[in-house]
Amino acid sequence: MSPQPFDSLKGFAVTFRQMFKKPITQQYPEYKRPVYPRFRGRHRLWRHENGLEKCVGCSLCAAACPADCIRVVAAENTPGNRVSPGERYARIYEINLSRCIFCGYCELACPFDAITLEAEFEISEYSRDDLIYTKDMLLAEPVKRMPVADRDLYDTPTPVWKAES
Amino acid sequence: MVRVTIDGQEVLAPKGQGLVETAASVGIEIPVFCYEPRLGPPVGACRMCLCEVEGLPKLQAACTLTATDGLVLRTARTSEQAAGGQSAILEFILLNHPLDCPDCDKGGECPLQDLTFRFGPGSTRMQFPKRTFDKPIPISPLIALDRERCILCYRCTRFSESVSEDGQLVAANRGAQSIIATFEDEPYRAHFSGNVLELCPVGALTSTTYRFRARPWEIQNVPTVCGLCPVGCNVWATTREGKVARILSRNHPEVHEGWLCDKGRFAYDHLRAEDRLRTPLVRVRRRGFEEASHEAALDAAEAGLRAAGSSVVVAFSGGETVEQATALARIVREGLGSDAALLPDDWDAALDAFRAPLSAIRDADVCLILGDDPVVERAPVVDLWLRAARRAEAEVIAVNPAGDVQAAPGSAAQVCADLREGKKVPTELRETAKSLKSAKRVALVWSEDDPTGGRHVGALANELHENGRAEVAVYVLPRTPNGRGVATAWYTVGEGRSDPPGEGEIGALVVSGDEAASDPRVADLAARASFVLTTAMFQSELTAWSHVVLPGTSYLEREGTYVNLEGRPQRLRRAVVPFGPDELEWLAQLAERFGVAIDPWAAPTAAEQADLPPADEFAWSRPDPQAPPGKPAGPGLELVRIGALFSGAAVERIPQLQFQRPAAEVELAHEDASTRGIAPGEAVVVTSNGTSRELRAGLNRKLRVGVVRIPAEHAKDFGDRVQVSRLSTGESR
Ligand code: SF4
Ligand code: SF4
Ligand code: SF4
Ligand code: FES
Repeated sequence: MSPQPFDSLKGFAVTFRQMFKKPITQQYPEYKRPVYPRFRGRHRLWRHENGLEKCVGCSLCAAACPADCIRVVAAENTPGNRVSPGERYARIYEINLSRCIFCGYCELACPFDAITLEAEFEISEYSRDDLIYTKDMLLAEPVKRMPVADRDLYDTPTPVWKAES
Repeated sequence: MVRVTIDGQEVLAPKGQGLVETAASVGIEIPVFCYEPRLGPPVGACRMCLCEVEGLPKLQAACTLTATDGLVLRTARTSEQAAGGQSAILEFILLNHPLDCPDCDKGGECPLQDLTFRFGPGSTRMQFPKRTFDKPIPISPLIALDRERCILCYRCTRFSESVSEDGQLVAANRGAQSIIATFEDEPYRAHFSGNVLELCPVGALTSTTYRFRARPWEIQNVPTVCGLCPVGCNVWATTREGKVARILSRNHPEVHEGWLCDKGRFAYDHLRAEDRLRTPLVRVRRRGFEEASHEAALDAAEAGLRAAGSSVVVAFSGGETVEQATALARIVREGLGSDAALLPDDWDAALDAFRAPLSAIRDADVCLILGDDPVVERAPVVDLWLRAARRAEAEVIAVNPAGDVQAAPGSAAQVCADLREGKKVPTELRETAKSLKSAKRVALVWSEDDPTGGRHVGALANELHENGRAEVAVYVLPRTPNGRGVATAWYTVGEGRSDPPGEGEIGALVVSGDEAASDPRVADLAARASFVLTTAMFQSELTAWSHVVLPGTSYLEREGTYVNLEGRPQRLRRAVVPFGPDELEWLAQLAERFGVAIDPWAAPTAAEQADLPPADEFAWSRPDPQAPPGKPAGPGLELVRIGALFSGAAVERIPQLQFQRPAAEVELAHEDASTRGIAPGEAVVVTSNGTSRELRAGLNRKLRVGVVRIPAEHAKDFGDRVQVSRLSTGESR
C-alpha cells in the first residue's frame, strides 16, 4: 500500500495545528515587512562623494539587460559641464520599470558600481509612462508614497529584524 | 605553389604569400595588430603575431614572413612557446594602456580587447603608475587622439605616409615616450584623414562626430553606397535610434579598397540639419510661401504643369537614383509630352568598350589625366588609385594648367586630338606621346565637364587600342554622383531623344534636387519659366523662384540604384526612414495624376557588392570628334575654377568639416606673381566682370604662366579672365 493516505493525514495535521495558533497579520501598508539585504527592488544611481555621478554612460548595463529596458545616451564632459569623473557621462539614462524583471544583471555589469537594486518595491503607477524612470529620479531617494506607522521601527537603514537578531 | 605546414596541417600556397593569409586560408588565425596589407609592406611593429618557426631558435613575427617551401609554422594553438610569447606581448602592450574601456568609443569592437580576451593573460603584474598624457587631443576638428591608448602600431602614420601620401601624421620621440603627432601640431587637414579612425586597432583615434554617440551593441549597420561623389564607395551606415551615427567603409577591392574621403565619411549629419525642408511649400499670391499639405502641394504642382502644356523642361541634379530619374523622365516625356532636359553629365555609351574597374589604374603602365579639374576634388578615391599606380612605378602624367604637362585651360580636347594625330605633336606633349606609344596598359582619366560625353578621350582610347594594341581603360569622371545613371535613364525612356532647354519663355521647369537648384544654368531657366516645381532638401536661391517646393531626401534615406563612374550599378539602401515621402513616392503620386503608372518602391537590383558588367563589344564607329577651338586670348589672367570636394549643401551644414573647405585663395604662377610684386600669403585684389574680391595669394610653381586658379565658391560672378593686383599698402593697413 502506498504511503499516500498517511502522508495526507500528516499534512492535514499540520493545518489543523495552525488553527490554534495566534494569526500573524502584516498591517501593510502601515507596517512594512523589512526586506532581505540582497533583495532586488527599484534601482538607484549613485554619486561619488564629490558629487560627480559614478555612471559614465558606458551602456554596459543596457547590454547586459535581458529585458532591454535600459536606454543610455552618452555625451562628453566639458570643463564647463563636468558630470562624471571620466570623459563621458550619461546624458540620458532611462529604465523602463514596466519591463524590468529585477534580475540585477545591470548591477553586475556596471564597472563602477554606479547602479544598484535597492529595497524599494512600491513602484506601482496609474500610467505606464510614469514607469519610465529618468536619471534624475534614479539619482534621488525613492519617493515614499505609503505612510509608515512606525518609521523608527520599519523604515531605518537597519531594519528591526536585523537589529534584534 | 609551395608547401607550408601550419599547426601540422599541410597548406598549398602561392610562393610569397603572407603567412597570415596562408594560415587564414585553412581557418587558422594568427592574431595581428599592425599588419595591414593595404598599407604596404609589413613593419613588424607590434609582435602580436609571434609564432614558432621550425629551425629558428626564437619566436618569429609571422606577419613579416612569406610562404616558402617546407616552412613549418606553429601558432599559439599548438605551440606553448608561441602562446606564451603572445600572452607576454599582450601583457607588455597593456602595461601603459589606460584600460578605460567603459569610456572608450572602441570598447566592444576593439581588436585589443578581443585579442586580450582570447590570447592574453587574465591579470596584470603592473603595479607602477602608468604613463599618462593629456587627452583627448584634437588633431583636427574631426579626429581626437588619445595617446595613452595608442599601442604604436604605426598604422595611422603608414596610411598618411604611403597611401594618402600627405605625410602629416608622424611618430615623434622614442621608446616608451613615442607619440603620434601632426607636424608642428598643425591640424591634420587632408582629404582622406578619416581613414585612420578605422585603421587604429585601439581607441587612440576616435571621430569627434561619433564620439560617445553609440556603442557597438546598440547600432545597426546598413550596407549602402556613398552618394556624394561619382566613385560610389561602398559603406556601412551605422544607425542608432533611427539616426545615422557614422559612416564606415565596406571594402570593395575593385572600387575603393576600403578607403573613404572625409566628405563621404563625415557629411552624413546634414540629414538632421535644422534648416531642412520638412513640409511642402506652395507660393500663395502676395503672401509668399506657405506650408501646405501633401495633397494641396500635389494639386498645385499638377495645376502648374497642366497650364504649361508641353513646354516643360526638367533639370536633373545627378543625385537621383536611376529609379527616380526614370520616373521623372516618364512623367515629363509620357505624361507631359516634352523631351527637354538639362542633364548634369552627358555620357556616350560607346565608351563602355573601355570599361574597367578602378583597380585597373594601379596595374596600368601609363596613366594620363586630362582636364582642368584636380582629380582629388572631383572623384577623390581615383586620386588614391593614381598614387598607388605611381608607387607601382607606373608613369602618371597629368595634362592640365598645373600638371606635369602644363596645358592651357580647356585644352584637354585639343590634347586628345594632338595625341591621336601622332604626327605633329606639340613639343611639350612629345614625351607623353612616346610613353603612350610604348605602353601596354593605359588608363585615361578625363577630369572636367564634357558636354560631348567623353567622346574626345574615347577617340584617343580607340586610337591607342587599334594602332597601339594597348589595353585601354577610360574613366570619364562625372561631376555628380549618379550623373551617368541619370543620363542613361533619361535617354532610355525617350529612346535617345533629348532636346536642349531652348530659348525664350518656358511653361514649367521641374528642378530635381539640391545640386540642380544651385546650378547657375538652372537659375537662368527659372527666370524664364512661368511655373517652377522644385524638390530640394534645403532652401536655396532657387527655391525663391519656385512656386511649389517638395521636401527632398538624401541618399541615406532612399532605396534605389546608383551607377558609378565605372558604370557599375550599385544598390543604395535606406539607412534611416525619412520624415515624409521620398522623391520616388512623390513622383509616383504626381504621375498618377497624369495617367502614368509608377511603382513607388524601388526593386532591389544589384547585389550588396556589385560586379562591374563586362566591357561591351568593341564597336567604336563614331566619326572622329573635332576638338573645339581654344578660347580667345584677352587682357589679364585666365581663370580656372576648381570645384572643391568640400563644398555643397551637405558640407556647409557640418560644423566639423568647415576647416576642410577651400580657403579664399588665388593660386598664381611664380612668374605672374613676381611681375606683380606679390609675395605668397599676401592679400590681393582680384577683379573681373566688374566684381572685385580680396583673396589671399598662393604660389604654385607648377602652374602655367598666365593662369590663375580659384575655388569655385570664391569665384562667383567672375568672368573667364581676371585681373590680379596687390592690395595697395595704404588700404591693407
Ligand atoms: S534588473 Fe535586469 S531587467 Fe531590470 S534593468 Fe537591470 S538588467 Fe534589466
Ligand atoms: S550604470 Fe554603470 S554600466 Fe550602466 S552606463 Fe552607467 S557606468 Fe555603465
Ligand atoms: S594611434 Fe592607433 S593606429 Fe596610430 S599608432 Fe597608435 S594605436 Fe596605431
Ligand atoms: S602583426 Fe606582426 S608584428 Fe604586428
